[in-house]
Amino acid sequence: MLSIKDLTVSVDAKTILKGLTLDVPAGEVHAIMGPNGAGKSTLGYALAGRPNYQIASGTVMFNGEDLMDKDVHERAAAGLYLSFQYPLEIPGVPALTFLRTALNAQRKLRGEAEMSAPDFLKRVREVAKTLKIDMDMLKRPLNVGFSGGEKKRMEVLQMALLEPKFLILDETDSGLDIDALKVVSDGVNALRAPDRGMLVITHYQRLLDHIKPDRVHVLVAGRIVRSGGSELALELEANGYDRYAGEAA
Amino acid sequence: MLTHIDIFDPSSYPTRRQEEWKYSDLSRALRVVPPTSDVHRHSETVTVPAGETVTRFDVYDTSAPVVHEDLRFTLGEGASLTRIVILDEAETTVSIRQSIVETAPGSVFRQYVFSTGAHFQRFETHVNHAGHGAQVELHGAYLLKDKRHFDLTTRVNHSDVDGVTQQLIKGLVKDQATAVFQGRILVEKGADGTDARMRHQALILNDGAHIRAKPELEIYADDVQCAHGNTIGALDEEALFFCQSRGIPEDMARAMLTHAFVLPVADQIEDEGLRARVLSFLENASGDFHAL
Repeated sequence: MLSIKDLTVSVDAKTILKGLTLDVPAGEVHAIMGPNGAGKSTLGYALAGRPNYQIASGTVMFNGEDLMDKDVHERAAAGLYLSFQYPLEIPGVPALTFLRTALNAQRKLRGEAEMSAPDFLKRVREVAKTLKIDMDMLKRPLNVGFSGGEKKRMEVLQMALLEPKFLILDETDSGLDIDALKVVSDGVNALRAPDRGMLVITHYQRLLDHIKPDRVHVLVAGRIVRSGGSELALELEANGYDRYAGEAA
Repeated sequence: MLTHIDIFDPSSYPTRRQEEWKYSDLSRALRVVPPTSDVHRHSETVTVPAGETVTRFDVYDTSAPVVHEDLRFTLGEGASLTRIVILDEAETTVSIRQSIVETAPGSVFRQYVFSTGAHFQRFETHVNHAGHGAQVELHGAYLLKDKRHFDLTTRVNHSDVDGVTQQLIKGLVKDQATAVFQGRILVEKGADGTDARMRHQALILNDGAHIRAKPELEIYADDVQCAHGNTIGALDEEALFFCQSRGIPEDMARAMLTHAFVLPVADQIEDEGLRARVLSFLENASGDFHAL
């Protein structure tokens, strides 16, 4: 589904990812773990197409298409969803307006019919209920004045509405208390499907207790230095990343 | 000090040599549009007695060629006055609106000004801040196009302890329009415990449009919290990327963020009905504003 080969990415002339290779088949959840500065967030941003993230070499194929050929919004319409570690506040734009604009822009690009306002509201109500999001909150400007937990629940709401084929979750657990972590993880788990892949980027093993990965990869200094099953996360939690630092050099 | 103007006496007109009128040339505007018998002059004193709450909503959509307004607001102790003004004037109008606000301990004065400019438009507010828990808010938003000119000048004088002032001004200018923002907060000696915050954020949508911003904090007291921020530039690139990453094409995202740029000012209006009217005015006015 997502196939990254020998990806080298630099930001402001500094090389962050140095030949990263990774395959995530449909239906699987892979976790990327690594220390600060390893390039975890860079990977998410580069895949989503953030400006100033220069792809020096390598390829990224997504469902048989070259992802790097596409603009940011085209990647989203193709089914890629990056959940930000710190979702941005969009002053002046009510969450509902933002969601409907995004959904219909994606549908239009895919040649699908736009969703009508009543159908859209019905769908939002259903999803909001499961995520314990008040409809009044959705009338407020997106993320403005929302708590960390509310912002993350809004992210899950967007995933559920936009129904992407592939999710990249960047440090989704940051800023969440235990209860919020459960609501958010339940929301993410509900989206697990045979035709959907996920890449979960995290510092800590904690999130992976809730969202169980099929594979775990260790990212150190811009490269994957070790891959294994979910037991690898436990080992990292016990022993830390230091022992891998040498392997990356 | 507020300049006293007699619209029929050119010798009373301020000149650009005066610091407060440096960016707004009233004499020239009144040479282009000379005051005749259809000058709209308005003078009024509004008193809000102690403990009372008043909301005043003024929509100025007059097509009078020349307007001069001279208002005085006096608040009693614990009184609350919310003044919401929509300046929807003709592109040929020369308008000067001046006001003096006298606050009292524990009183609240909130002002929201929304403007699309005019040939020449000056909106000036002088506040004597009584402190002692009194709260002053001077918010505003402007959307200027063509050759319109809007000058928002505010002066707040904190003369006693424990006064709060908050100011958020947001604006968009395009074509050959000019915006002037002069915000001055003076904290006199002994006005300790003053908390004053001023923010001015604007976007210039094309070369040829201008913004003259002069935020000033003048502080003579020791124990105060004051801050001002003035940003004039482009749309927030992070927010733009965030929108695009959700599938919104760049053009559409820019248009959406530009239209939304000034709306947060209106979000603070408590009265739901009035907020809706202001939002609809701003949404109509922002239709053809688009930051590239």
